[in-house]
Amino acid sequence: MTKYDVIIIGGGITGSAIARELSRYKIKTALLEKGLDIGLGATKGNGGVVHQGYDPVPGSVKAKINAQGAKQYPQLSKELGFEISNPGLFVLGFGEADLKVLEHKLDYGIRNGIKEIRIVDKDTVKDREPHINPNVTHALAVPSTTVVDPFEVALAFAENAVDNGVTVFLGQAVKKIEKQGQDFLVSTETKSYLTRYIVNAAGNHADDVAKLAGIEEYQMQPRHGDLLVFDREMDIKPQTVMFPCPGPDTKGIACIPTIHGNTIVGSTATMMDDKDDVANYKNGIDALIDGVHHILPELDDKKIIRSFAGLRPVVLDHDNDFYIEISKTDSHFIHAAGIQSPGVASAPAIAERVRDLLNDAGLDLPRNLNFNPFRPAPTIFNVLSELEKNMLIKNNQAYGHVVCRCETVTEGEILAAIKGKIPATTVDGVKRRTRAGMGRCQSGFCQYKVLSILAREQQVAIEEILLEDSGSQLIFGKVKG
Amino acid sequence: MMENFDVVIIGGGPAGMAAAVEAARKGVSVAIVERNDELGGILNQCIHSGFGLQYFKEELTGPEYAENFKNLVEQAAIKVFLKTMVTDISPDKKVTAVNEDGLVTLLAKAIVLAMGCRERTRGAIKIPGTRPAGVLTAGLAQRYVNMENLKPGNRVVILGSGDIGLIMARRLALEGMEVLGVYELMPYANGLFRNVKNCLDDFGIPLHLSTTVSRVIGYPRVEAVEVCQVDDKGCAIAGKEKIIPCDTLLLSVGLIPENELSLKLGLKLNGASNGPVVNQDLESSVKGVFACGNVLHVHDLVDKVTVEAIQAGKNAAEFALFNTVRRDEQSQFIKYSNNIAYTVPSIFNTSKDLLVKFRVRKPITGGQIKIFSGDQLISESRIRDFKPSSMEEISLKKDDLCDQAKGLSIILEEASA
Ligand SMILES: Cc1cc2nc3c(=O)[nH]c(=O)nc-3n(C[C@H](O)[C@H](O)[C@H](O)COP(=O)(O)OP(=O)(O)OC[C@H]3O[C@@H](n4cnc5c(N)ncnc54)[C@H](O)[C@@H]3O)c2cc1C
Ligand SMILES: Cc1cc2nc3c(=O)[nH]c(=O)nc-3n(C[C@H](O)[C@H](O)[C@H](O)COP(=O)(O)OP(=O)(O)OC[C@H]3O[C@@H](n4cnc5c(N)ncnc54)[C@H](O)[C@@H]3O)c2cc1C
Repeated sequence: MTKYDVIIIGGGITGSAIARELSRYKIKTALLEKGLDIGLGATKGNGGVVHQGYDPVPGSVKAKINAQGAKQYPQLSKELGFEISNPGLFVLGFGEADLKVLEHKLDYGIRNGIKEIRIVDKDTVKDREPHINPNVTHALAVPSTTVVDPFEVALAFAENAVDNGVTVFLGQAVKKIEKQGQDFLVSTETKSYLTRYIVNAAGNHADDVAKLAGIEEYQMQPRHGDLLVFDREMDIKPQTVMFPCPGPDTKGIACIPTIHGNTIVGSTATMMDDKDDVANYKNGIDALIDGVHHILPELDDKKIIRSFAGLRPVVLDHDNDFYIEISKTDSHFIHAAGIQSPGVASAPAIAERVRDLLNDAGLDLPRNLNFNPFRPAPTIFNVLSELEKNMLIKNNQAYGHVVCRCETVTEGEILAAIKGKIPATTVDGVKRRTRAGMGRCQSGFCQYKVLSILAREQQVAIEEILLEDSGSQLIFGKVKG
Repeated sequence: MMENFDVVIIGGGPAGMAAAVEAARKGVSVAIVERNDELGGILNQCIHSGFGLQYFKEELTGPEYAENFKNLVEQAAIKVFLKTMVTDISPDKKVTAVNEDGLVTLLAKAIVLAMGCRERTRGAIKIPGTRPAGVLTAGLAQRYVNMENLKPGNRVVILGSGDIGLIMARRLALEGMEVLGVYELMPYANGLFRNVKNCLDDFGIPLHLSTTVSRVIGYPRVEAVEVCQVDDKGCAIAGKEKIIPCDTLLLSVGLIPENELSLKLGLKLNGASNGPVVNQDLESSVKGVFACGNVLHVHDLVDKVTVEAIQAGKNAAEFALFNTVRRDEQSQFIKYSNNIAYTVPSIFNTSKDLLVKFRVRKPITGGQIKIFSGDQLISESRIRDFKPSSMEEISLKKDDLCDQAKGLSIILEEASA
């Protein structure tokens, strides 16, 4: 049996970033993810804002890591070929009481090392956001704030890790962890893996995974958030990420211009019991619509194209901080748990911290001299020039076949996703990588084509193709005909 | 590749085909650009009959209706680009498309937009709950069942009583799926009376009015839906929920004109119909660009699409031949009473007869319709029952239109109950 130096459990953005970081070293690393794709936990259900660090309490683990992580994003985007935009951020104040809160957050921001942060007046906000609620009086401005698609970032981390020697196993839910001498034997339903160290990046299930190894140091509970996606074409939409004044557990309901030109409105914040309940709730959706109208009163709420939800992994009784530590019970077990917001912004720095903890726990980290930090950006047909499009089609006819009409996604892009380093194997896997089915018609026109391409490439019947998780078949056989 | 045409038609559904045939009849060079591998548009998947009664005076299936026009297109000297998707149109009428040979550029003198429509989705109506496999639009189900012989589910609940929902209820029942019921938010069925009878009653499928799907339950596949009665404002009534076990939810909740390209072209859109603003020549706010069929406004009968498209094709050909310049600055918006949802055209001038099509917002049982030019009453007529699902028409003679500066108003007065 292969013996790994490190097994990472959980392939969200945290686990993927750690995998990529560890691939800089000459050690044997594997990542086990229970889903059929990476990033299916909190990582696919969030707002994608790379917060610069105005919110966390100075001195907390979160504060340090958030600011350090966020700073790396522009460079990472170049290395790893994921998209990034820089809309900047306003935290809006309505009156003098809010101004106090903003000043408080300004102080946090400065102490957490944000260079450009200041309080601006109503006119400055209005110049940039002409349709802003007229009752806004001030705003905290953080112009360096960026936005990413967190799934794309996680995929980029994971694919670059694979390229540099990490093995990623999908569909592997860890069910059992046993100690074999110094090592761990990690078992799923179908396979076992031997490893010297475990990194627990299992999101909302980190406490359950720890328990498998007999480690009970914290308890977790998910904080649920609903989100809405709006059409790209709207007369009134935000140019800037805009939050209201924050509450104790949440930054409040924001509107976020995405890298693709849509608007996301999120998120609510409700403590839940069920760690897998990512349903949308009616009162949540209603609260989001009220929330966005508090910021942009005239935004057209008929332009919603999709709702979704995510669960923030919260370690209880831990002041909403991250829990990134060597286990007190077993020093070869490292927690990267409780990665609630802003876990996306923090991921690159969480990975470095985990690397240091592994080192502290006795793992030697010789440099991988062959480490290649670059991952080529996927081809996006729609943004190419006419000349480039023509060349691409001449080389490969599949790029001349538009599959998704709303987002202009070609068969060539879909094939590239299916043949990627971490291949898309499901309809939603294709959607997340290529945007086929993400537009206004929400796959009404292209779902059949995507199904057919997947079935053809995997050489299976169309009835076997899944939407997302196992059991999510779309087709139940042939009609009587 | 670059080619010149007098008229380029975007979309090869019934609207595009009729416009092309008519334009070609005027002796101009015509191209149709169609994304799919055959002409016919949405008709290819509508295998039920009920098409053509008005235009061909016989009852045809969708593919038969399309076939008639495909033959006409073939006979005329029309260049057809299949598997070719238009990605951009510029105001100087350069049409950019892609297909397997590469980029295709067509330079046109006039353009007809005939891209059809798409279906409203779950997101648009904000149904809460889980997001499993088994929630799909009626049009997608139609494609799976009618064209690919695939079964998208076993036990089906349908939301929406428009004609597509009703026709799919029957289709699925005929194909051996269990249709548990059709649920409709409004207190009346949205489809044609004959479809309620032929598609539901004859198959013992219940229709539940003033009821909506309030939640989707189950993951990774639909396990049930929660339905709930609504009050006269369409709001769910607490305590009136019911769980219906099923594995599929079919949505038939409306169609939206597909105007991505129109927006790139910079056309003005009409927020009420979701189609381009056009005058009575079906000409948009960009000179020489015309629109017809479902891209202009959603039609219930394909026969009406054909009639409209013939007009668009004719006007496009004339524009290409004579470069007719109209002074639209003088055109006026047609005003209408609140109970009317929209009119097509939305602007008019006094140079020609005017056919106004419109839909009402809610059912109206009797009343009268008055047309004013300025404050002068120019016509008045009694009306029968109007439903939002059916398109109504009023035809006005050029001479009736009086002075356009005074504007035109259509006032629908309901008979007081
Ligand atoms: C509504 C909402 C809005 C947010 N907005 C933002 C934002 O704007 N900016 C920001 O920076 N952050 C935001 N966040 C936070 C961010 O989404 C999370 O911090 C981040 O995604 C956490 O990543 P993770 O990898 O730790 O967890 P996850 O993405 O949940 O990954 C954990 C993975 O572990 C796997 N796993 C679990 N158990 C096992 C097992 N037994 N065996 C194998 N695999 C297992 C899961 O399948 C999952 O893929 C938001 C979160 C929510 C919910
Ligand atoms: C699901 C459904 C069921 C219906 N059932 C009935 C019925 O039972 N009876 C009835 O009378 N009417 C029915 N109708 C209405 C009637 O069929 C339509 O009104 C009619 O087909 C509309 O014609 P069209 O040409 O405007 O649009 P479509 O038939 O939709 O044709 C538009 C064409 O344009 C093409 N296109 C779009 N964009 C591009 C692009 N960028 N590049 C190239 N090509 C493009 C599309 O591929 C398509 O072929 C139904 C409509 C729908 C949507």
